[in-house]
Amino acid sequence: MAGRGGSTPATYSPSPATQNKKKKAPIFTDSDWVRPDTRGFTQCRPAFFRTGAVNAASGSAYAEIGDTKVIVSVFGPRESKKAMMYSDIGRLNCNVSYTTFATPVRGQGSDNKEFSSMLHKALEGAIILDSFPKTTVDVFALVLESGGSDLPVVISCASVALADAGIMMYDLVASVSVSCLGKNLIIDPVLEEESYQDGSLMISSMPSRDEVTQLTITGEWSAAKIHEAMTLCLDACSKLGKIMRSCLKEAALASQE
Amino acid sequence: MVGLSAGEKHFIQGGIAQDLRADGRKRLNYRPIYVETGVIPQADGSAKVKMGATEVIASVKLDLARPNPSQPGKGKVSLFVSCSATAGPMFEGRGSEELSAELSVALQRCLLGGKSGAGAAFDPSCLSIVDGKLCWDAYIDGLVVSADGNLLDALGAAIKAALTNTRVPVANVPAGASLDEDPDVDLSSQETTRIDTSGVPVIVTLTKVGRHYIVDATSEEESQMSSAVSVSINKERRICGLTKRGGAGLDPSIILDMISVASHVSEQLMNKLDSEIAAAEADEQDT
Repeated sequence: MAGRGGSTPATYSPSPATQNKKKKAPIFTDSDWVRPDTRGFTQCRPAFFRTGAVNAASGSAYAEIGDTKVIVSVFGPRESKKAMMYSDIGRLNCNVSYTTFATPVRGQGSDNKEFSSMLHKALEGAIILDSFPKTTVDVFALVLESGGSDLPVVISCASVALADAGIMMYDLVASVSVSCLGKNLIIDPVLEEESYQDGSLMISSMPSRDEVTQLTITGEWSAAKIHEAMTLCLDACSKLGKIMRSCLKEAALASQE
Repeated sequence: MVGLSAGEKHFIQGGIAQDLRADGRKRLNYRPIYVETGVIPQADGSAKVKMGATEVIASVKLDLARPNPSQPGKGKVSLFVSCSATAGPMFEGRGSEELSAELSVALQRCLLGGKSGAGAAFDPSCLSIVDGKLCWDAYIDGLVVSADGNLLDALGAAIKAALTNTRVPVANVPAGASLDEDPDVDLSSQETTRIDTSGVPVIVTLTKVGRHYIVDATSEEESQMSSAVSVSINKERRICGLTKRGGAGLDPSIILDMISVASHVSEQLMNKLDSEIAAAEADEQDT
């Protein structure tokens, strides 16, 4: 809004539409819920990965899935702190932090302190810790923008970064989450869908080995629904794994030239 | 915890494979469970649960507060677990932070339900006093006094017992009082109401050692595990939460199998717990 003439400078006031962000939860009928970005219930957002985002790190990756943007850098293997006991297998140290501008309301990201330990649990099953005894590998994840389904994006991006750093792994870890809204299963929820969800299921798996490294379920589910959600997620994980692999191949080809 | 020799490790793994564990139990048997309620008189509800050598205490305290604007008819529930240094010197000072955080997150997942409130252990609208203006905030705290494996199941049982033991004071707000400043809430009547805990789930942890699953592992057996799955199941056999712990990868069909075994075991555990809690409540009322 530019000022006019030489009179008092115009000030910017937010448009009325943005002030009514706090809506009440809509009451859905099961078949009428249309996703905000018009995807189908079993359609994931397009995923974009790029390695080499941080030059100073041993390995790094940037991932953008829908509105969720994450950068992960990997340092190591480097010497463990002197205070730590001798260990004949390697150590993994994970940290997930949010920028203050990542969430719609400033500073809300600090609600997710448990993401660091969940990232650790998802990755430790895939890394061959015997290959770097006495040392530590540090994985630092920074969420630049939180657009829903944050932790799965962080986990997938972290395994691409670990591969970029040359850490030996059994397989890449791909992660997908599913939300339950009423009777519907909605894959890869956005922030709005996550705030209304009745339950969620998050799975991290190693697609080529067909093994689950981490599974968390909240809300009320029947065993049959869990089965359905798991098959849906594992299928999505294997497709995501292929995308991650092709990103790494491109990076390798580019560095060869 | 003292380390295990190679011989002891083989003994544990071999015993589990033959359905005969080191203390004589079968794979799907629990240790004897003792429940005592009302152990903390100053709390609004409390309970102590002993499973073998594992001992945990849970307490529920209620505070007057303003409800969340997005959920005006419900009280807020927060859950936190801490490990006392009496359980072992490794829990002194900050040593217990990691384990406490892991247990807190797992219990919150199992007992507090999804974001919209579905699948929660109990309906928080029973904590509301005046819709939109005044409610009770429930602070559920768990304390690990002695750790010998299977902390999550014991904490789940203790919280269930503590919630059953909780007496919510009846608050009388004088009609016409302005609730925008601190109102004069009348708590002098000694009446209390109880929380409906029929929907509180039990937590069953299945530990995978070798190719078999055991229930209620001791800390020695837990040191040999490849992975563990903790499932929270309620009376209607619906699954209210699930956490996979441990580093090793698991085949998806094994996870589904573990869920069905846990569902089967949960029925016995639920019945045992309900009868123990009822007996403890009756004891407490007699004294």
